[in-house]
Amino acid sequence: MFEARLVQSSILKKVLDAIKDLLNEATFDCSDSGMQLQAMDNSHVSLVSLNLRSDGFDKYRCDRNLSMGINLGSMFKIMKCAANDDILTIKAQDNADTVMFMFESPNQEKVSDYEMKLMDIDQEHLGIPETDYSSIIKMPSGEFSRICKDLSQFGESMVISCTKEGVKFSAAGDVGSANIKLAQTSNVDKEEEAVIIEMQEPVTLTFACRYLNSFTKATPLSGQVILSMSADVPLVVEYKIGEIGQIRYYLAPKIEDEDS
Amino acid sequence: MGILGLSKLIGEVAPHAIKDNEIKNYFGRKVAIDASMSLYQFLIAVRNEGQQLTSADGEPTGHLMGTFYRTIRLVENGIKPVFVFDGKPPTMKSGELEKRAEKREEALKELEKATEAGDAAMVDKFNKRLVKVTKQHATECKELLTLMGIPYVDAPCEAEAQCAALQKAGKVYATATEDMDALTFGTSVLLRHMTFSEARKMPIQEFHLDQVLEGLKLTQNEFIDLCILLGCDYCGSIRGIGPKRAIELIREHKSIENILKKIDTSKYQPPADWEFAEARKLFIEPEVADPNEIDLKWNNPDEDGLVKYLCGDKNFAEDRVRGGAKKLMKARSGSTQGRLDGFFKVLSTTPAQKRKGDEKKNTAKRGKGSFRGKPK
Repeated sequence: MFEARLVQSSILKKVLDAIKDLLNEATFDCSDSGMQLQAMDNSHVSLVSLNLRSDGFDKYRCDRNLSMGINLGSMFKIMKCAANDDILTIKAQDNADTVMFMFESPNQEKVSDYEMKLMDIDQEHLGIPETDYSSIIKMPSGEFSRICKDLSQFGESMVISCTKEGVKFSAAGDVGSANIKLAQTSNVDKEEEAVIIEMQEPVTLTFACRYLNSFTKATPLSGQVILSMSADVPLVVEYKIGEIGQIRYYLAPKIEDEDS
Repeated sequence: MGILGLSKLIGEVAPHAIKDNEIKNYFGRKVAIDASMSLYQFLIAVRNEGQQLTSADGEPTGHLMGTFYRTIRLVENGIKPVFVFDGKPPTMKSGELEKRAEKREEALKELEKATEAGDAAMVDKFNKRLVKVTKQHATECKELLTLMGIPYVDAPCEAEAQCAALQKAGKVYATATEDMDALTFGTSVLLRHMTFSEARKMPIQEFHLDQVLEGLKLTQNEFIDLCILLGCDYCGSIRGIGPKRAIELIREHKSIENILKKIDTSKYQPPADWEFAEARKLFIEPEVADPNEIDLKWNNPDEDGLVKYLCGDKNFAEDRVRGGAKKLMKARSGSTQGRLDGFFKVLSTTPAQKRKGDEKKNTAKRGKGSFRGKPK
């Protein structure tokens, strides 16, 4: 038996919105420690790693480990049926074919439940090595989203280069080129609004704008985004999800061809 | 023509081994293409109102058209193709080739009949059956590929075998052919429908040999024997043993030798002088060029050279050829997108578990299938 109760149902709605562009379907692995999801997009360029800790839920019970294969589009449809202040309860039996979503209005006067069929999904678990990233950039998530949107008008790919002075985002294409430089914030009053750079070594990497734009769908989840980069390894884009967990996106860089 | 009914058998017994994928998900992959197969496809498919495309002096140019535009399509999707051409057919294939020659003769007769009767649809049908890929076609395509900057390999013998060798040596990611015997030759990833026209919207079918073997519960050698029993190009098979029976027999007895000892040979007659052992050897040790000595290089297209070659006598439109060359050039500039599986190791794959609802789903699918087949 699995049961998880979340007073702020809107969190899960935002989470779904943040992953449904990249993934059509995925498996939620539920265990004692919480709900996890790890999946690559179809083209195997990016990976979503979602973690919702059990202690972040208002009530959490998971007797046996459970893998729920879910069509994320359908689940998002269900989540959209909830009002923002509704309380959500997810329920599933062990080895069930379906999962139940129950929404209660705060005054308990309206209760709606939705049962959704589960799917069979091939799962590939990737081992992500622990990496000491040579540059870690913390910045306001809204700013990052804006930069990705603006630069994607100029080219398919974006160069992110991080130096001591700051971080530079650039793109070039048929129209011309674009550069956006952000310097470290000197006086940090609120961490969420600051640009903070922790750098061991300067890094420059190229990424496809398309994926970055999909990642920024997670912007409503958190005011701050953390970008971690090292030479020749995938970029990590992380958003905290309140007190309950985090969502990490991994993106393979573009590489120069060696045999052409 | 590959292995009789193998894809159907895999679809039934080991459905997990087949994955449908979109062409755009193969960016950055090097793929060995069985050129004889694709040339044949092009000669048949690239037509204008049922007529073959020809040059000013009546030589067909469909193969060049196909090679040019469909290669561009692959390159635009970020794929790096390498074409592999057949060498001399193995002597063991002579039986199969004779059969094909007979069929051509039959088709020729039918064509005459149809032309007399004035049945256009039948004329078209038999015309297509008469299509044959000649040395000349292959040579022309090689010239074209060189101008396009696409590498090709001349296999000493069967192209599928050479593709498999390239793939096993890690020179390419996969073999693209419609012939299922690429799997028998040991290709671990086989792609079908790669060179099909975009308009057909066919997803690419990806076969993984390890999963095929796992699903069929066979070793590679047992798999080869299974393919021989199903019917390959190199020798006959036992009459009266279909795919279902063949896989049961192989699972039980492990090899054709043992099967012959166990079954009632008067009921199931093996062909006289059955050369299954030689055929097996051909699959295990095919005649191929050493893949490590093959250097694959992709070059810039020669735009003027292409115009000179394709326009003029061969009746290609200059602006389209120049446009194609530009596309090739554009795809070469810039860097290639990396893949996450190149950085992170796959720890485990959990195939979809069977759920209770599965059976219902299957029947529903079958229902749909028969509905589609009904004439309106």
